[in-house]
Amino acid sequence: MTLKSSVTWLALFSGSLLLTACGNEEADSSASAFEDTSDIHVITREDGSGTRGAFVEITGVVDENEDDNTTPTATVQNSTSGVMQAVAGDIHSLGYISLGSLDESVAGLAVDGIEPTPETVASGEYQVARNFNITYGENLNEAAQDFYSFMFSEEAQNIVEEQGYVSVDVQTPEYKSEEVSGEINIVGSTSVEPLMQAFAEAYKEHNPNVTIDITAPGSGAGITAVIDGSADIGMASRELDEEEATQVAGVDAIAVDGIALIVHHDNPLEEITLEQIQSIYLGDTTTWDEVQ
Amino acid sequence: MIRLFKQKERVMNGIFFISAFMSIVSLVLIIVFMFTNGIPVMRKYGFSEFLFGTVWRPTASSPSFGLFPMILGSIYVTLGATMIGVPIGILTAIFMAEYCPNNLYKILKPGISLMASIPSIVYGFFALQLVVPIIRDYIGGNGYSMLTAMLLLAIMILPTVIELSESAIRAVPRSYYNGSIGLGATHERTIFSVMLPAASSGVLSSIVLGIGRAIGETMAVVLIAGNQPIIPDSLLSGVRTLTTNIVLEMSYAAGDHRQALIATGVILFVFILIINSIFIVIKNREDTSE
Repeated sequence: MTLKSSVTWLALFSGSLLLTACGNEEADSSASAFEDTSDIHVITREDGSGTRGAFVEITGVVDENEDDNTTPTATVQNSTSGVMQAVAGDIHSLGYISLGSLDESVAGLAVDGIEPTPETVASGEYQVARNFNITYGENLNEAAQDFYSFMFSEEAQNIVEEQGYVSVDVQTPEYKSEEVSGEINIVGSTSVEPLMQAFAEAYKEHNPNVTIDITAPGSGAGITAVIDGSADIGMASRELDEEEATQVAGVDAIAVDGIALIVHHDNPLEEITLEQIQSIYLGDTTTWDEVQ
Repeated sequence: MIRLFKQKERVMNGIFFISAFMSIVSLVLIIVFMFTNGIPVMRKYGFSEFLFGTVWRPTASSPSFGLFPMILGSIYVTLGATMIGVPIGILTAIFMAEYCPNNLYKILKPGISLMASIPSIVYGFFALQLVVPIIRDYIGGNGYSMLTAMLLLAIMILPTVIELSESAIRAVPRSYYNGSIGLGATHERTIFSVMLPAASSGVLSSIVLGIGRAIGETMAVVLIAGNQPIIPDSLLSGVRTLTTNIVLEMSYAAGDHRQALIATGVILFVFILIINSIFIVIKNREDTSE
């Protein structure tokens, strides 16, 4: 085979590929139109997710032993951003994320007629909500203890409101920086992480000698890390169960956050009831026309 | 003088021995760690429950650790990837060894090597952005399916299969080729009837290495396969493999759950052992029949 003939073959092949790509532009847009008869593509979080734990408890997606009974055919994404990306890319999908992380890439549904906003969460009207908890082990270092009290100061709780969550009671009214230094290792929920990043930024203005390391592998991982000592502070977007609570030194709520049910922007559905959510996530309701 | 040389010899001997020893020691340590942590929990819940149970609910109040869906998932995905990737790989190797003009070869060969060194998470990302929407819009389902995983893994094992098969084909003595042509066979007939069978042991080892890579691939698969712990009932169903099972849950698993994940690693290890043993048997038979 000569160079000339192989280049000719290559050109023909790539040319035909390009033509098929261009030719299908129209088919492309019609292939992504919303169809009532399509299956609901259910998206859930991984087992150790605090958002998932809180969600199944509130919506009642449990079996007779109070264990998580989400349908096994639901696609599993292992972070808040993973769920958002999956929903933004699939017109027939449904997922749930932290309300504070909701942005323009997806659309939030009203539940039982109530829109998901920080105001409705604060007033209790929007029922699908949970605390952001932070836990800590024994022997917190000086920097971590100082950061802890910072999180309950007025400044920090103002940040909570700015970020789109609901604040809790202020316990340290006037935070005074004592210029501490040290390293703080924070591990846990992907839902709490954006808030924690905002806290860390504000805290470092007061204490520039502190390094704060935040990783978000999920609530379960955060609690485990605090229990085995590899993290100073753990972030959890659900309540701790009895076994976990006995193994940590303490747990407190730093904010209240709603869980938003999200769909693609081109999905005509705008509201949903708690029973419908439960039925979809248990696997009983499977197509979009059953949800109208 | 001689004594100094002899001492140097002994020292170098020792250094080489220690290096080899460290490799073996690491392997032994891995095996010991996995088996001591994985076997007790398997015994506690029953080997057949682990290997053939179909329900994986490790965080329930009465946990069940059935790995059968994941075992099937790994097998299906690897088989599919092999069936797609190996023919393409071998044919590409034949092209590169026997048909490719030199100028094109200078571009193709480094390109294939580059493919081999791309990190697997980048492959996963690429499939997430490109392959998943195509499957969702043109074939069906929600895009995160066994088919996506098979296609991606086929692409990922291509460099392995191509590089090794090509070396094997090039290593066949030219006299075989000349003899066949001299007897009147065409170029194509010679390659498929004479060269390829002569290179079969090298080509087979490339296939086995490709299978090994496919079965062990984690980060790319976890992004695109759906990760449902169910027995896949169609090509478009989501799937979870043994490897993605571990990576999804290891960070927060505790107690029995963590040991069950190590047991998943044990089963994976046994799979690799079986594949490598088959390879050694085939190779031995090739060698003895020479």
